[in-house]
Amino acid sequence: MNQEEFISSGLLELYATGISSVEETRIVEDYLKQFPELREELKEIEISLENYAQANAIRPSSSVKEKVFDRIFPDATVTEEKNKISPVIPINRNPQSNLLFKLMAAASFILLLGSIALNYTYYHKYSNANEQLQIAQQKIDHQEKSNLAMTEDLNVMTNKYAQPVVLNGTPHAPDALAKIFWMKNTGQVYIDPTNLPQVPEGKQYQLWAIVDGKPIDGGMIATEKGIYHIQKMKSFGKVDAFAITLEKEGGSPTPTMDEMIVSAKM
Amino acid sequence: MAEIIKYSEEDLVELLRSNDKSAFEYLYDNYSGALYGIIFKIISDHEQAEDVLQEAFVRIWNNFSAYDPSKGRLFTWMLNITRNLTIDTTRSKSFKKQSKIQSSEKAVDYASNNNNEKERFDALGIRNQVSLLKEDYRQIIVLSYFEGFTQDEISKKLGIPLGTVKTRMRAAIFELKKILQT
Repeated sequence: MNQEEFISSGLLELYATGISSVEETRIVEDYLKQFPELREELKEIEISLENYAQANAIRPSSSVKEKVFDRIFPDATVTEEKNKISPVIPINRNPQSNLLFKLMAAASFILLLGSIALNYTYYHKYSNANEQLQIAQQKIDHQEKSNLAMTEDLNVMTNKYAQPVVLNGTPHAPDALAKIFWMKNTGQVYIDPTNLPQVPEGKQYQLWAIVDGKPIDGGMIATEKGIYHIQKMKSFGKVDAFAITLEKEGGSPTPTMDEMIVSAKM
Repeated sequence: MAEIIKYSEEDLVELLRSNDKSAFEYLYDNYSGALYGIIFKIISDHEQAEDVLQEAFVRIWNNFSAYDPSKGRLFTWMLNITRNLTIDTTRSKSFKKQSKIQSSEKAVDYASNNNNEKERFDALGIRNQVSLLKEDYRQIIVLSYFEGFTQDEISKKLGIPLGTVKTRMRAAIFELKKILQT
């Protein structure tokens, strides 16, 4: 092949892209040695490919460069740091800088005053906000407690074993009413005292269960603070009737029949 | 701010032969992006691809005395080292175990989000220009120059006769030269 034929054979291109076979590579290298002017031709091909590679460049993270240089020049960074001496800055004592110092001190003082004032206001705001936060927190706590109580109430009322018993007012207190939820499976007794009249000072309601004609203490009913929620009383397996009497605080071993407020026969 | 120095290829090679650190820094700053673009075409995982790049530059430095300017340009030589190392890595056991498949879109995103201000020339302008390259031509350049497939493999991959690989390659580079000149 003459030079022209060699150029048009495409061997230089294969060589530049790195895919020429061993035989082709040998031919190209021979030609390059023989005709140095072919190197210009190859250079042009290589530059265009190089530009193509640059056009597809992706920047690696900077840590790669550090790692490469740490490996190639392991001592370089250390010595460089050793050689770095902190520059000494002389203290300038001329009157001009003295004035500048005074001005800066005055400015700092004004800034300090401003800062104190701001601190005061912000602290005030902060305390206020904190107080309000605590009030809100208390409200939430209260709500949470009553939510919990309501859920408990609902659980009792919706229990499939709960047998509701309505205790109606006696002639003594015709408007009074109480509800009992009696769990048939466990004998547990829950009472809803919401519609009982206000308890007089020093007195308390007491539940009674009449079993085989005899009154048995069923527990004291808590009515403090006026929050009446369903509450658990003593358990009974068999009951003929339920009754509630008004007794002195703490209860009584036997019911005061005159003070019977509500009752229900089973 | 370091002043921007531009070396001629001859000067750069001369300095590198004398183990000049700043010349090597110049080499890294100007060519790491292009070489990394090639590695990432083959290994689409930044962590592994960056390990290969690191290794490639260490080899370039350690084997610099083997570079022969009469056989081609410095970048072509660097690229050959890098590409061989990349292909060797993909064939290693540890690579096969942890190799992850990643979409090429990710690479494109990565490239466009990384403005290499140290690039020797306006890469973005050239990017736009080379996007004009016909798909047939782009394919053959990427497969050979970037991914290091042999003529045989390219002929099978593209479903064209071996002779056509040669003629198409020549046409592709001719076209690329034309695009880059305008």
